[in-house]
Amino acid sequence: MDFTFSRPHEMLRSMVREYAEKEVAPKWESYAQEGDEFPCETLSRCGQLGLIGLLVPKKYGGSEMGYLARMIAIEEISKVYAGLGANLRGWSLVPHLLTTAGTEEQKEKYLPALCRGEIQGSIATTEATSGSDFGAWPVEVTTDGNDYIINCRKVMISRSTVSDVFGILVKGEKGYSTFLIEKNMPGVQTGHREKLISCTSRNSPTGDLVITNCRVSKDYLVGPEGKGIGIALSTIGGAGRTGGAGVCLGIAEASFDIALKYSKERIIYGKPLHDLQSIKFMLGDMATRIECAKFLSYSVSWMQDQGRKSAELNKETAMAKLYASETAMSNTLKAIEILGGYGTAPEFGLIPRLKSALDMIAAAGSNNTLRRNIGDAVVA
Amino acid sequence: MSFHCIVCIKQVPHPGHFSKINLDPVTGAIRRAGIPSVLNPLDKNVIEEALCIRERFSGKVTAITMGPPQAREVLEEAYALGADEGVLLCDLTLAGADSLATAYTLAKGIQKIGKYDLVLCGNESIDGATQQVGPQLAELLGIPHVTHVVEVNWLNEREAVVKRAIEYGYLKVKVKMPAVMTVVKSINTCRLPSVLDIMGAAGKEVQKWGCCDINGATECVGLPGSPTRVIGIVQVESKRKREMLKGSEEEMAKSAVKRLREYGVI
Repeated sequence: MDFTFSRPHEMLRSMVREYAEKEVAPKWESYAQEGDEFPCETLSRCGQLGLIGLLVPKKYGGSEMGYLARMIAIEEISKVYAGLGANLRGWSLVPHLLTTAGTEEQKEKYLPALCRGEIQGSIATTEATSGSDFGAWPVEVTTDGNDYIINCRKVMISRSTVSDVFGILVKGEKGYSTFLIEKNMPGVQTGHREKLISCTSRNSPTGDLVITNCRVSKDYLVGPEGKGIGIALSTIGGAGRTGGAGVCLGIAEASFDIALKYSKERIIYGKPLHDLQSIKFMLGDMATRIECAKFLSYSVSWMQDQGRKSAELNKETAMAKLYASETAMSNTLKAIEILGGYGTAPEFGLIPRLKSALDMIAAAGSNNTLRRNIGDAVVA
Repeated sequence: MSFHCIVCIKQVPHPGHFSKINLDPVTGAIRRAGIPSVLNPLDKNVIEEALCIRERFSGKVTAITMGPPQAREVLEEAYALGADEGVLLCDLTLAGADSLATAYTLAKGIQKIGKYDLVLCGNESIDGATQQVGPQLAELLGIPHVTHVVEVNWLNEREAVVKRAIEYGYLKVKVKMPAVMTVVKSINTCRLPSVLDIMGAAGKEVQKWGCCDINGATECVGLPGSPTRVIGIVQVESKRKREMLKGSEEEMAKSAVKRLREYGVI
């Protein structure tokens, strides 16, 4: 088995780390402030650097560098600011949806602008009344001649107020279908904005997407009618969950680094803090969890790069996100404990990381949903 | 007219791992086993300056480095940033070179490359930090050099007014091409390569030349060509005398001044 990264992957990591440390680190606190002004410079800069189109073919403006490259990019940015890592994860979902299931016309129309960061997209699947319980969804799309009429309310939509296009999953007479909806179409509105722990920040506007009598032609159908669940879940699992694992990996590593540095500098009883066995045990646990999370995350990305379909990797993507998410939580809490009274001091940056880790428990499939998916796979 | 800029770059140990580096007590050589290598950080500014010159005058940028086979990695980074060609001077006979033997080897390599207008180097590498290679290279090439360059104002393609940092100020000098310039970090802000730049750099052809290819004299390269000898290594120990002062703030300040005068510090 060869666990070494390729030279391009190493160069990518170096480039993204430099971007994050030099350009994101000085500004992240401003991005995390409450407000409505979305930091568009991060979108355009990530587009300029080619970080949004890592899964998109070159002919549509991407680089097709692959899933492992995307994992590395999200991980490195999330070490500095998990909010931007989460956005980078989100920005590549509609491109992934179109790349895997879109028509040639849809790809040509949207992908280059999405990859350049000129427009952004969000995936909108969570139905207002019953969430992931697809069977309980009301009928949301009907046909009228050659057109479709869409009526739905989707909730907890990341960047709901600033996205230009939405990949939506709706229930219709022929089952579930996926559509691409533009924000300026008649009947499309953004509704209530959530006031959850980090959703009030200018970086993470999250809320409702309300679609009322929106008429679209077949040109906006992504993939075959009635096959929407497979198409949407392919993107949510294949790109959403792995991206979530990358965000969590970055949080876990950054928290560990903060704790390790502090434990070396803090002298207690005449020795560095890490000489206390209880602290060393915690550092050992944190480092071990990081390596396990890395293995799960990198290996599933590598399998995707070998051509394995997302549908074949449901268990592996779920495991990666579940374990990385729990590692992010565990490591931030341990780091806070190691820093003692300074654990919640703003200058050490652990509380924002804890908030991001909390967010990631629910993102891209809640951890308990993932547990159930993994359980289903192993008992099948 | 097109301007040919040659940039001399170097692979160095990763600064984040400096604490793990130690010296061989017998030979004085740096033990680098297990330490990852990176492009000398200042060399990114070197490449950036060359790219800016290419954008101004058109032409090409050639990156050259001396080192083991893995030094190819820094040429890949140069390609990703925008260099047009890369040359790796790599040969067992080149190993163990001090700054003079390095400058000799680079000069031979540059002469083999052919016509050039400007040779750009970093003012120093983060590991050796001798600041000698640039000036030595200029002497061997028989062209003028300017060190500690913070700004270059081009009068035309053959002449520039160069601002160089000196102690307590700056010196402006006019220099004609071809010349060697060694630059400092403040000269520019480096660009980042894009993902496509990185992918394009991977596997791009690198010219690999040994001592014979550049017509190097074996007695002038590597260890035989290096007059520098490490005759001893001393571990620097930092010993501090500590003294606690007592009293009010004013009393302690007065005591501190008195004691510092007694020690002859002020």
